[in-house]
Amino acid sequence: MGLLRSLGFRAINLVLILIVVLFIISYALSGPASSVLENQVKIEARAVAQAVLKHNPNAASQAQQVYNTIVAQLEKAYGLDQPPIIRTFYIMWDMLSFNWGYSFFPQNYGVSNGKVVNIIASALPGTIILDTLGILLSAIIGIYVGTRSALRYGSLSDRGVMYYAAVSNGLPQWWIGIVFIIVFAVMLREVHSPIYFPFGGILDPKYFGTWLVNPAAVFANVSAVLNLLWHLILPLLTVLIVNIGGWAYFARTVVLNVAQEDFVTVARAKGLSENQVVNKYIIRPAAPAILTSILITIPFVLFGGFLVTEVVFQWWGLGYVYNIAITAAGTPDTPVVVALTYASTLLYIVIVFILEILYIMLDPRVREQ
Amino acid sequence: MTQKEEKRGSGFRILGMSPSEISREFFSSGTGKVASALFIVLVVVSIYSYFALPSNFGAIWNNPSYWKFNPDNAPPAWINYFTSQKLAPQVTVHPLESVTTYRGVTYISSTFSVENPYAVPWQDIYLVLNGIPKNSSAAVQLTIYRPDGSSMPIGPLQFSGSYIDLASSSQVKNQILSFFYDKGESITLAPTQSPIPLLFQAVKNGKPYTLDGNYTVKILVTVFGSVASSSKDPNFITVIMRGNVYGLMGTDFEGHDLWEGLLAGFPIDLEIGIVSAVITMVIAIVVGIMSGYFRGWIDEVLTRITDIVITMPAFPLLIVFSVLFAWSLWDAILFLSILSWGGAARIIRSMIMQIREAQYIEGAKIVGARGSWILRNHILPQIMPYSLYLLVTSAPGAILTISALNFLNLAGSAYPTWGNLLYWADSTGALYAGMWWWVIPPGLLIAFVAVVFILVAIASEPVVNPRLRYG
Repeated sequence: MGLLRSLGFRAINLVLILIVVLFIISYALSGPASSVLENQVKIEARAVAQAVLKHNPNAASQAQQVYNTIVAQLEKAYGLDQPPIIRTFYIMWDMLSFNWGYSFFPQNYGVSNGKVVNIIASALPGTIILDTLGILLSAIIGIYVGTRSALRYGSLSDRGVMYYAAVSNGLPQWWIGIVFIIVFAVMLREVHSPIYFPFGGILDPKYFGTWLVNPAAVFANVSAVLNLLWHLILPLLTVLIVNIGGWAYFARTVVLNVAQEDFVTVARAKGLSENQVVNKYIIRPAAPAILTSILITIPFVLFGGFLVTEVVFQWWGLGYVYNIAITAAGTPDTPVVVALTYASTLLYIVIVFILEILYIMLDPRVREQ
Repeated sequence: MTQKEEKRGSGFRILGMSPSEISREFFSSGTGKVASALFIVLVVVSIYSYFALPSNFGAIWNNPSYWKFNPDNAPPAWINYFTSQKLAPQVTVHPLESVTTYRGVTYISSTFSVENPYAVPWQDIYLVLNGIPKNSSAAVQLTIYRPDGSSMPIGPLQFSGSYIDLASSSQVKNQILSFFYDKGESITLAPTQSPIPLLFQAVKNGKPYTLDGNYTVKILVTVFGSVASSSKDPNFITVIMRGNVYGLMGTDFEGHDLWEGLLAGFPIDLEIGIVSAVITMVIAIVVGIMSGYFRGWIDEVLTRITDIVITMPAFPLLIVFSVLFAWSLWDAILFLSILSWGGAARIIRSMIMQIREAQYIEGAKIVGARGSWILRNHILPQIMPYSLYLLVTSAPGAILTISALNFLNLAGSAYPTWGNLLYWADSTGALYAGMWWWVIPPGLLIAFVAVVFILVAIASEPVVNPRLRYG
């Protein structure tokens, strides 16, 4: 029962965060940002009124009436006639029910009908692939490296790992991506190397159209999957280079602490092999603590970094769509930006929740309470 | 400092260490020395940039016409040391010799000479004249004395506006081509190709090659009318020879001097780190003390809030608000600080929970000390050093997050930021053209500042964490 209770507790906490984020955004949209929507309504109504006038130039008062009716109706439909706090809840409800509206500049995304929910749905698989693989691989490699380095405490390789971890914490992940593109895509081409990497993108153009509508169809095609993996190499390498350090550092600290415990000494005294001591008596008790440290750093280091890395590699994911929505049209594509923030918060909360489950599975103290 | 104060100073202890012991501990490790040296470098460069750049640098940077004489996308000048193909650097001269007025006509004559050992000579020559009245007409005549003894006359060219661009004048092109034609050489230029390099080249069988040596250029400007009194100023006439390489750090797509752009980023990044860290720590200390010291329902509420703040995804929120409200750099920093105190507050709270159970606090209470006295004399001195350590560790995150935001062209300031330089590099395709001088330095500097803060944190860890000190 304890397991379910603590899981439920965490779930409530995360849902609370989602609602807080949602409320903040919705409130911002209902207040100062609503003037944008009002203007849009007026422009729409004016277009209709002008069409009426064109048809019958003498019907000025009629056109005015049409204009007023349309503005009133649209404002009612968008909830603009309500006080801001009511409107906030309208917007929250729309967000929760995935009613995200239409993009201002649908042609920038190449997704057929410009529905924001479709744009984001097309970007989600890319982000999930890069984030999941990135977090998992960097965790596995980082914990391995950190543990090895803790067991060789004070050696040259240990100090090397420490400095690498410290420096990698200060590297802008997306800039490492830029350097990788310059070295492995641009320079390798310049020296006519037989192997060079793509400049970016998630797939070659011939597969990309399919990817936008139906990613599952791409996975059915072996050569398309290979193409995806080929495009994945540089972004993944970028993510790994920067993130392994953090995991290694935390793993090392925790393992060092555990390795000094009495039960480890006892295990050694019993004559267990070093492998057994390390795996059963050091890493196992250290695992939950490593995860806790990571849970605290995820919001900053991991999440922001991944999104911007997608921009550099033009990797069709939430981050890249963010970039298009902000910069491609000159003026920001507000519906897309807002929905992206909600969607990425949702995704982030799912990731955190999965890590929480992992944490509970690993920590017997929580599990068997 | 009086003797009495000095005595009190030596009695002052934090975590059982006097200030001199703390600094000795900090500097004892190699990391401490490196960290403090780098930090000093950072501060010195920031101060230097404050004095080296004009106070309206932001306006200058965003004014494209200020940079119009600079070459676009030019690599830094020092690449000439590493390549066999020498490229001509940007040259600016103020060659004014004399100004004479005769019967209402003003003659301005100037001379200068340049050395041309470059395989790729200058691409364009601009003549900038300040102080010629808008309504009076002027003509410019140039004579170039070349190292092979020949001299090439250019002009007279009609002068209007504030400068003249020799490469864009078809008259100049024809005069240069006919100079070579008279020598029996015919050259064809592509329509957009600049004829100016030919001034510094000789031609054999229709193929131009560099004519090494000293060139003297005489310029005569004839103004039909009087000129402003500022004509005595040596800046009255400026000749700019547009190079192929530029300055210490090269230029970007608008001819911005990247060295100045990078320099402007130093104080900004330092401020981002320090300001956000200070705000973060102030909130964290207040929240940590309140929830750790008062306990009860205050603690319960604050702990809930802390939990939420820790898990809050700051980056997407920063993006959406920067877009909705067109936030400036400082708004973004403030918001980021408000979202990032969670972890530090949690640590401070747990420290205080431990401290307040100590016997000396109990003793102080029995003697009748008030809460504020205990706070000031027992609790704050103990958590301050660790708070300072946390302050330093929270700076790199802020620097990286704000840089990432700048890279998305959000949260801008009047001054160019390193992240924003990279945004322009990315959006104009400098990446794929391999313009390393534009792409590598900004990111390297972001990493440098962040790593300096991290090194300071590592070096101060043994000071604030006694377990490490004696372990």
